[in-house]
This record gives sequence, C-alpha cells and structure tokens, in this order.
Amino acid sequence: MERFYLSDVPLEPTALARSLANPACGGYAAFEGWVRDHNEGRLVARLEYEAYAELAVREGERIVEEAIRRFGVAQALCVHRTGNLAIGDLAVWVGVSAAHRDEAFRACRAIIDEVKHRLPIWKKEHYRDGDSGWVNCERCAAPAAHEHERRPHRNHDHHHDHDHGAREQPHAPRPDYSRQTILAGVGELGQRRLRSASVLVVGAGGLGVPVLSYLAGAGVGTLGIVDGDRLEASNLHRQTMYSIADCGASKARLAAARVQALNPEVRTEVIVEQLTAANADAIVARYELIVDCTDNFSTKFLLNDVAQRHGRILILASVYQYEGQLQVVRGDRRGACLRCMWPEATRDGLVGNCVQAGVLGPVPGVFGSLQALEALKILLDLPGQLRDELLIIDLTSFATSRVRAQRNGACAAGACVRAAENQGVPVAADAPLEVDFDSLAAALEAGYTIVDLREPAEIAAQPAPVPVRELPLSELLRNPGALDAARPQLLMCARGARSLAATQELRSRGYANVMSLRGGLLAQRAKT
Amino acid sequence: MSPEANSILRPVRVQYFALLREQAGRSDEAVDTRARTPRELYEELRSRHPFTLGPDLLRVAVNSEFAAWEQPLRAGDTVIFLPPVAGG
Repeated sequence: MERFYLSDVPLEPTALARSLANPACGGYAAFEGWVRDHNEGRLVARLEYEAYAELAVREGERIVEEAIRRFGVAQALCVHRTGNLAIGDLAVWVGVSAAHRDEAFRACRAIIDEVKHRLPIWKKEHYRDGDSGWVNCERCAAPAAHEHERRPHRNHDHHHDHDHGAREQPHAPRPDYSRQTILAGVGELGQRRLRSASVLVVGAGGLGVPVLSYLAGAGVGTLGIVDGDRLEASNLHRQTMYSIADCGASKARLAAARVQALNPEVRTEVIVEQLTAANADAIVARYELIVDCTDNFSTKFLLNDVAQRHGRILILASVYQYEGQLQVVRGDRRGACLRCMWPEATRDGLVGNCVQAGVLGPVPGVFGSLQALEALKILLDLPGQLRDELLIIDLTSFATSRVRAQRNGACAAGACVRAAENQGVPVAADAPLEVDFDSLAAALEAGYTIVDLREPAEIAAQPAPVPVRELPLSELLRNPGALDAARPQLLMCARGARSLAATQELRSRGYANVMSLRGGLLAQRAKT
Repeated sequence: MSPEANSILRPVRVQYFALLREQAGRSDEAVDTRARTPRELYEELRSRHPFTLGPDLLRVAVNSEFAAWEQPLRAGDTVIFLPPVAGG
C-alpha cells in the first residue's frame, strides 16, 4: 500500500482521511501544512515546491513505515505537494489511524518532523516585493530538541551540561545509529564493536573537534580527551563545536560536555593536561586506538614512540595553511612510523604551526574528518586502511599525493621503542634554552659568540648590527661540529623560533653551551 | 655515471608542499635538470627559490615513494620535496 506520494494537484483531505478508515482504530490524527503569507519577516505572495521525486518518494515511504513500526499504529499516509501554491493552500498532509489517540498523535508528529528534515524538497518563496528565494525545507522545522544549545552557557561543568540536556526533554530521544548500521560494513555487530571501543584523542582543537564529533556520533563507547589548553577566541574559526561564550574554559572539559550533549551513551574521560613524557605512558596504555590531533612535533614524536611501545595504532594528521597530511602508524612495529618518515632533526619552530603560519578553518576540519574515518575503518576492520603511506592533500588545488614509506633501519632495530623507553625517565628540570639581552653588544660583552642562523638573503636584507658568525640553520644542523662546544654560543635568527629549535636540538646532542636569543633580531630592533 | 650521462638534461616534474610551496611560489613545475640526484636537484632549485630549509630537515619522494637523497634521478621522475608539518 502506498504510504507516501507527491502530488502536483490540490489535495483533498476528506478523501485522504477516508482512505485511512479502519474498524480496529479508535483514533485518527492528521496534520495539515498550509502556505502562509510571511516567512522570516518577509511577506510571501506564493510558493513553488520542487522535489527530487525518486528520492523523495523512497525516503517518504521509509519515514512513514518507520513511524508505523515505531509507534505501532495501524495505518499512516503522507502526501506532499509540488508545483505552484497560493497562500492558504495545503502543502503537506499527514494522517494516522491507530487503536488509541496517543500513538496516532505521536506518529503524526514524528512523520511531519522527519519529512521536513529528510526529504529532498525545496521551497521557493515569491515575496510581495517581487523578489524570490529558495528555502531549504529543513529550515522550516524548528529543531526544538536543540534549543538549549543555542543558549550560551557559562557553566563549564560537563556533568551539568549533560544532565541539563536530558532534563529538558521528558521523552529524550535515544541515539539512533540506523544510518550507519544499515551499511554492510557496520551492521549491529559493528555497532557493538564501536560501543566496546576506547579511543584516545590527544588535542581538542582544529583536528580534535571533528574527530570527537564523529566518533561520539558513531557511538564509540569511551573517548579519552587530552588537552591542557583553554579556549581562545582565535580558535573558533576552526574549532566550531565551541561557543564564544566559552572562551577561557578548559577545552578538554568543553569538548567532553559537547560529546555528552551529542551522545549521552559515550563515556568521556577528561585529562586537563598536556601530554608529557611523564604522563604519556599511563594515559596511552588505557586506550586501544590513539588519534593525534596535536600541533607540535615534540608531542607527535612522543605519541609515536609511546604508541609503538604499547603496540597501539596511532592516527596522525598535521595541517598547514591550505593543506595537510594523514598517516597511520601501526602498532605492530613492522610498518613505517613517524621516525621512519621524518629526520631526527625535525623540531618545532622550523616551520610554522597554525598560530604562526595560519590555517583556513575547514582544512583541519577535512583532516580531522579523515582521521575519524580512518579510526572507524580500523575499529570496524573495513578495507582500504592507510598503511605505510603518507597521504597529502592540497586543498587549494585538490591535488592528492600518496607517498609510500618503509620502516627504516633505525626503527627496525627498535629506535622508536627505545626512545619511548627513554622518555619514560622523567626529564630533569631543563636548563633555560633562551636568554634575553638589552643589546647584542651586551651579549658579546657577556662572552657569547653570536651565531646568525639566517639565510644569506635575509642577512643581506637586514644585516646584524654587531660582528656575528654567519652559519645558516641547515648547515649548523648538518655539521654542529662547526661550533666550538667549549665556548658560549648565542644562536640568533629573525624571530627566535629557528634559534630555539636549533638550541633544543644541539642540547640533545650534548652541546651544553648553546643558548637561543629570545625573540631574535626583531626583539632587539624593538628595543632600539 | 659517465661524463655524458652527467651532461644530459633530464626532464623531471617537481612538486612542493607547505612551506616549500610558499617559498617557491608554486605547487609544481617542470624542470630540465643536469642534477643526478634529488640532493643536487634541490641545491639547483635553491638557487632559484628562497628555500630556508636544508635537505636534512626535508624528506624527498620520487615517484610516490620516500627516497634517499642520493638515489639516481631518471628522466620523467616526479620528485616531491616535503617539509615537516605539525599544525593542528
């Protein structure tokens, strides 16, 4: 029996109602949607409905059938108009007959709500002023269930947010995974697998937001969220699950609250700390899958090593301006890890992160979504998982590169795992890496040799005001022996980032006498 | 490698990412080069583009495979220079 159809001629409610007559039914409920003369402050003269008919009918049938099953009603029917309609015309009609009135009302309500949300039917409004515009029907349905999210809440306690969402709705809807369980690769079995899974998401920023959103939506049972930062207004262009009113609050807590609001079935574990060598081991060991959503190499290498040590799969992503990279490191110690791909000398400060180089908001959105996708593929054991490869996508041109990589000799011999074991030793309080001087002359007086790490072109454009030794960063890192390890060396660059990175690197190679000039030449120029 | 091989101009395709793309002002280019290895090619390109990172901070891939800096280049190779990226 037909349960949904489209009509390009006026509807006859009486005839439609009669078609639902049933001697076993004591209740009948109907809903009529009429064309009204205003919308969002504008005066409407008439309407046009356009439908993607095949899809609309199939989906409409599905909606009505779902409602019949869910509410146990006897019969239901929905008809939607297409074409030109005048003010007051009947645009959509829903009728339900049932043994009792309660399920008839509820099924009727559910059908019209779903129809408004799900059907590919578009409405063009012709306004009295002669203008016209297409309105997606989804916007017509007021999402009452989400009303509470629009209010800026200043209370950052996530338990509160969670309860609060549930309390406002006496019949709170339950999570419904039907759109993914219908997939052959998921099914009920896959859903149970997701429910039993535990995933650690390190970083609740541009990458972490989509990762957490999709994994929570998918019903992953336990999500660990690590982030020691507080929300800043400059995060919001790419970290879109937060609110501007939340600035100053812990991102890990905010993210947990959002996850709870999205899916109360997910258990969240909040770690309001940065991941460090001291805590990484204990945290990583508690989860079966690790997603790196951090923005710095030291944490990425740390996670890589600790995940290798514990045999955990690590999904890494990094973004830069308009492009990004995705890599999955297997926990079996056989494939390529982060250390197999990047040189030992890779340090923060050499290339910009989001703060220094900038990034367009959707770029981490895309890569975080890809991380969530890979996480689900791994948990569900789906084909096509990334393995021993670096996937690079330039989102300006959509150029995609896949670069194959192999486990290199050092890692095959256990370098990454050893590094993790060494990380386990708490690092003694670090000696300062940076120093500040009132002038470069004062640094010379203090006995430092100043080493200018800038490139020749930079030096030509802005020569150093005092005698310095010119040694570009790349040359220094290639041949640190060029420095006299016995004498104090002050490394200098334009802004202090390269010199800091080089200082970190040289200290790790045993050069105790190197120091970085804080803020570089720029800071010196500001002083004069 | 024979002296003749050394003097041959080989057409290669070069792709840049992230910082290198920015500094090169392009995402790819076709280059006819006498360079025999990715290292020589990078040094040659450095004379044209203001690259700040030395090869020891980069990775190079030839024909979609991470490669050694000394791997011999062949005509028609696609060479990708990759700087490290950490943003998130």
